[in-house]
Formats: sequence, C-alpha cells, structure tokens
Amino acid sequence: MSLYGGVYGGVYGGRAMTGAGQGGDYVSTLPTVTDPDKTYAKMTRDDYNDYIKNYRGFEEDLIERAQNDTSLIDQARTNTTDAQGLMSGVAQRNSERYGVELTPAQRQEQARSLTRANTLGGAQSVNDARVAQAEQNQGVIADLVNIGQGVNRSSLSQMQGAAQSATQRNNAYKSAKAASKAQTYSTLGSLGSAAIFAFAL
Amino acid sequence: MGSKPKKSEYKPSAAEKASASVAKAENDYFKRTYDPLLQKMRDESLDDRVDETLRGRANADTLQGLAGKASYDRASSGAGGGDLAQAYQAQLAQADEAASDIRNKKQLNVLGIARDQAADSQSGMAAAANMGASEVLTKAAAKQKVREAKTGALGQMSTALIMQGAKNMKSKGNKDKLDSKGNTYIDKATNENATEEVSGGFFSPVDKSGNSITGFKDRLRSTNSFGYDNNPFGN
Repeated sequence: MSLYGGVYGGVYGGRAMTGAGQGGDYVSTLPTVTDPDKTYAKMTRDDYNDYIKNYRGFEEDLIERAQNDTSLIDQARTNTTDAQGLMSGVAQRNSERYGVELTPAQRQEQARSLTRANTLGGAQSVNDARVAQAEQNQGVIADLVNIGQGVNRSSLSQMQGAAQSATQRNNAYKSAKAASKAQTYSTLGSLGSAAIFAFAL
Repeated sequence: MGSKPKKSEYKPSAAEKASASVAKAENDYFKRTYDPLLQKMRDESLDDRVDETLRGRANADTLQGLAGKASYDRASSGAGGGDLAQAYQAQLAQADEAASDIRNKKQLNVLGIARDQAADSQSGMAAAANMGASEVLTKAAAKQKVREAKTGALGQMSTALIMQGAKNMKSKGNKDKLDSKGNTYIDKATNENATEEVSGGFFSPVDKSGNSITGFKDRLRSTNSFGYDNNPFGN
C-alpha cells in the first residue's frame, strides 16, 4: 500500500479522485504523448509566451518604479497637509466638547503652535520618507538584479547548449562530407584499378 | 545478411510513455490551476488595499492613543495638538512604508515565480533544442550511410561490369568463314571449311565455336554458375 493510500485510504479529505482506470490506475487514463520532442518544444514555447503576455509589462513597470518611485515622499507631504486640517478640527471639537472659550490671542497661539509642530513633524516625516524610499528602492533593485541574474544564468546555459549543438552539427557535417569524398575517391580508385587489370594496360 | 531495422523495434518503453503522459498532464494541470493563481497574485500585488488597511489602522491607533486623552485642561490650553499632529504623521509614514514594503515583496515574489518559470522554460527549450539537434544528427548520419552504401554498391557493380566486359571482349572462338553471300567459304588448299577467329563484344562473349552468347539461358550455361543440370532456364 502506498504512503498516500495508507494515510488517506486512497482519498484526500474524503474526496475520491475521479478518472481512475482499473485498480486506481490514473496514468493509464492519460492521453498518450506521440511525439515528446515536439510536445516539449510546444510546452516551453507556451511557457515563454505566457511570461511575455502576462508578466513582461509587470516586470518592466517594477524596474521603472524601483528607479524612480517617490510615493513615500509624496505621501509624507500629503500627510502633513492632512494632519494640519485634521488636528485643527480635533482642537476645535475638544474646545466645543468642554465649553472652552478661547480668547483670540489664545486661539491664534494654538493655531501657531499646531502649525509649527505640524511643519516640524512634516519635515521630519518627509526626511524619514526620503531615507525609507531610498532604502526600499535599493532593496527592490537588488532583488530585481538577483532575479535577472538567475534568468541570465539560464540564458547563458541555454546559449551554451545551442552553441554546442551547432558545433556538433557542423562537425558531423564536415566529417560526413569527408567520408563521402573518401568513399567517392575509393570508388573511383576501385573502378580505375579494375579497368587497368581488365584491359591489361 | 541482416534484415532491415523495423521502426517498431525502436518504440519507447512503457516507462518513457508513462513519464511523458504524466509530464504532459502535470504541465496542463499547472497551467490550468496555478497560472491563474499567479495572475491573481500579480493583480492583487498592484492594488492599494494594503495601504488603506495600514493607514486606517495607524490613524485609529494615533487618535485612540492620543486624542482619547482629551481633557478640559488640554482643550483650554490648546496643548497637545502639535504632538498629536507629529505622532499622526509619523504613524502614517510608518504605515505607508510598511505598505510599500509589503507591495514590493508581493510584486517581487510574483516576478520571481514567473521568472523561475521562464527560466525553466528556457532550460526546457535548450533541452528541446539538444534533443532536436541529436535527432538531426542521427538523421543526417543515417542518410550519409545510405548514400555511402549506394555509392559503394555502384562502384562494386561498375567494377564487376568492367571486369566482365573485359573478360567478354577477351573471349575468342573460331567460326566458319562466310563469303559475301553468306555461304561457307571453302579453303581451296585443304578443301575444308575455312574458319576465322572472332572476339566477343563488351556485353556478349563468344563460345569456342565463335557463337555470340546472349540471353539468360546461354549466359548461365556459359558461366556454369548453377551447374549444367541446374540451369533454371533449361539447357
């Protein structure tokens, strides 16, 4: 009994797999591959076409963004503007909640204090965002380069295979040509010898 | 001489056939099941839901933590608004950074998986190319062998033809000499039929009587290849 048969009793999670042949033989129900070479070539072509169709644009966008992304910095600036309005509102609502009547001087001072703190906070936030953005972009670039290196290694290996095949083919052609030439000369020689012997030249 | 090779003798083994069928089925299953999942992951990595979630949480945390401590004293003095603003910005910035980090990781993950597939397909293509190359080489070698065999056979036949032709031409016989009217020429000195020596042609030798040997029956009788009694064309 196989491991899965022993553990799951031939089913997984109570679900019996459909399409089994005699005695649970799923393989015999699969279509026969008549030309594995062609099928393999088609599978690999389809895989590459799928990558171009579904992921090439995505990859190019990611590469572009890793070099020029400023979204964290932009968002930090937007946050500063939002915070100013939001905190003014909070102060206003708190004053109303507790029935506090501020003098114009106090109100002015409160607004100034909030603006000052918000501006300082904004500057800090934008500066932090710059550092974070640079780190993130650098990290993405590093990861992209890692992926690219993997792809490049595969490409080199692929090209090496193609080059070896081409050299093999070329050598085989040269050797076949030489063999053919040798055979022709041998035939001519044999004919000539026969003629010499036959006619007692 | 061995019989011709039969294509049926070069059939793939049961293991090869099963392996190819399973590989194809697995590939189809992968395309049908996992490829759409990866595309879904790709689309999800591009949306802004993580940003919204994290910013919403940062907003709530800040306001709960700091604005929740509202008091008459703080409201009347106006103190704490600046701190709250700074905390709010810092929290949002952290949320933005975390969201961006998550988005980057998701996208790189998707790309890594997609590119691994592409890398696999590239090595697959190389393997397919190698298989194709070896097939081409085998075919070329086979053609070359057939061509060489043909040339060899042609050479052997030509040699045999020349040898036999020469042998035919060397064959000689004596036959009655005929005059211009086709009558037997009588040697006046001996009063017997005069004879003359004739030679065979390239394709037709002559027997001792000077008769040209033509046709399968005569040729086989002349060479005695099958023996006198065994000539398939009779004697």
